[in-house]
Amino acid sequence: MNPRHLLALLLLLLLAVPASASPGDGIPGDADGDGVLTRAEYASAALTYLDAAYMGGAGELDRDDIRDAAWVSARWDGKPREITDSTGRTVTLYRPLRRVVTFSGESLETLRSLGFDMEKIVAVDKYTAEKSTFFPECREKANVGSIWSPDMEKVLILRPDTVILYATISTAACDDIQRRLEASSPGIRVLRFDCFKPATYTGEIRTIASIVDEPERGEEFASFYGSTMDRIREGTAGIPDDEKTRVYFEYWFDYTTVAASAGYNEKTELAGGKNPFATGTTEYPVVDPEAIIVADPQVVVKLAGQGLAVGGYGGHDPEALDAIRSALLDRPGWSRISAVKDGRVHVIHSDILGGAQHFIGTAYLAKWFYPDRFADLDPHAIHQRYLTGFQGIDFDLASQGTFVYP
Amino acid sequence: MMGFSANRLFCLVILLMVVPVAASGAPVIRSLSTAEPGAGEVFDVSLSIEGVALGGVVETLPAGYAFAGTDHPDDRVLVRGQQVAFAVMNDTRITYSVRAPAAGSGDITGQWEDFLGESDGQVGAAHVAVDGIETATESRGDNPPAQEAASPFAALAAVAALFFAGRGGRR
Repeated sequence: MNPRHLLALLLLLLLAVPASASPGDGIPGDADGDGVLTRAEYASAALTYLDAAYMGGAGELDRDDIRDAAWVSARWDGKPREITDSTGRTVTLYRPLRRVVTFSGESLETLRSLGFDMEKIVAVDKYTAEKSTFFPECREKANVGSIWSPDMEKVLILRPDTVILYATISTAACDDIQRRLEASSPGIRVLRFDCFKPATYTGEIRTIASIVDEPERGEEFASFYGSTMDRIREGTAGIPDDEKTRVYFEYWFDYTTVAASAGYNEKTELAGGKNPFATGTTEYPVVDPEAIIVADPQVVVKLAGQGLAVGGYGGHDPEALDAIRSALLDRPGWSRISAVKDGRVHVIHSDILGGAQHFIGTAYLAKWFYPDRFADLDPHAIHQRYLTGFQGIDFDLASQGTFVYP
Repeated sequence: MMGFSANRLFCLVILLMVVPVAASGAPVIRSLSTAEPGAGEVFDVSLSIEGVALGGVVETLPAGYAFAGTDHPDDRVLVRGQQVAFAVMNDTRITYSVRAPAAGSGDITGQWEDFLGESDGQVGAAHVAVDGIETATESRGDNPPAQEAASPFAALAAVAALFFAGRGGRR
């Protein structure tokens, strides 16, 4: 037999043997199947489980079943939980999340902010797997590739009850993964969130907090996040358009900027910046070097961090960011740019601007654009509080990582 | 002098073995109204439960001893042979009764699970003997006494032993 056929057959066999009931089968222990687990049904289920586990009885509930039933009884008042993900799709949860595969590092980071038990993450995407400093608990977890090249066989072998994908980016790739999962594992829960967009992140925090039943933690984190973003919005409110700080934001690649449709532009504008190249027709347009000089930006922001090569959580390396900045200053004609003359050329790492930590990076932008308006804003302190108080990782910004320069 | 040191060392070892155990915070601790019931006497077994909102306890009685009732709601109790299962739902104490046989000794053993906390363990064994008379009859319980269930009495006894050993030394 062809080895590929053998593997496929093995996969089918694995899928055909139900290790436990599907997460879409209803609440375990709901004997009358009316969708509500009453106290009496739960008590009966508990005895059925104990009988089978310790007394030689023949009940069908296993340990995960009774633990899930207890969760639904205690945390969800015996009822399934309906949530709406960021694609607008309503998903009914009959059990808590127990075996989760994430294709989105941003969603994983948000789960960790909310105190989710990371032991229940059974696999992560390849980019998360590479971030071993930031996600040390994921070092040994299975790697299921990326949304563009998913290892579907591995996903299915892991028998997740929940898979998390992006909602509004790379939608074709994510739609395809979702279709394949739902075709091969009926009842599997596919949840889709972005967790990197300022416009939707607060709502996503609350929705995910509801899923993992951490409402108080969710409110605390949403408040922490929201207070930073609100402070930035309030600080830039009412600035006339012609008085806004002109900003040239350069993407990872030289002379490549961001247009209106790019997330980095959204954060630049949130921080009160005015991007002279926002009208570009592509997300990341390449600009004529001369046009930058003509635009005469008051602030230049250069994005670092491509391929995890420099700075960020990967290492304490201010010299590398200084080198990036020096290269900008040495560009032909740049000595005539106001930002260069005024010493307002900054390098920022994508770790704190592109994903779930965008609020930290946006706070830095606001402070760079309007130092007087944001004199009391301390992005460094916000960052440390996020890492210590919400991410729960032992990372001291005083000696570890490099995220901005200067 | 040597004898004193050996005694003292022995008691210290006992104390070290017992005290951490007594303070380890086992969520389910069993106590008996008597460990030496008379023949046919009904005695009480109390399970003190802490920090288990939703879970279960399965008790196993020695051969010849019979479950005789409980204050726990009927729909949360299951009896099968020498075993009794209790569904724990925010309970802090469960008391049940056991009828002793005409003669016999053995251990009452138990297992607990915390479904919400996703943990489990053993309830320390409690030895019972009709009229205090040990018999050759083996306990139905298969589990060795769990360390965490060392009774406060045992800890007290060890402290007392240490104290008396110390007094003996001063004489």
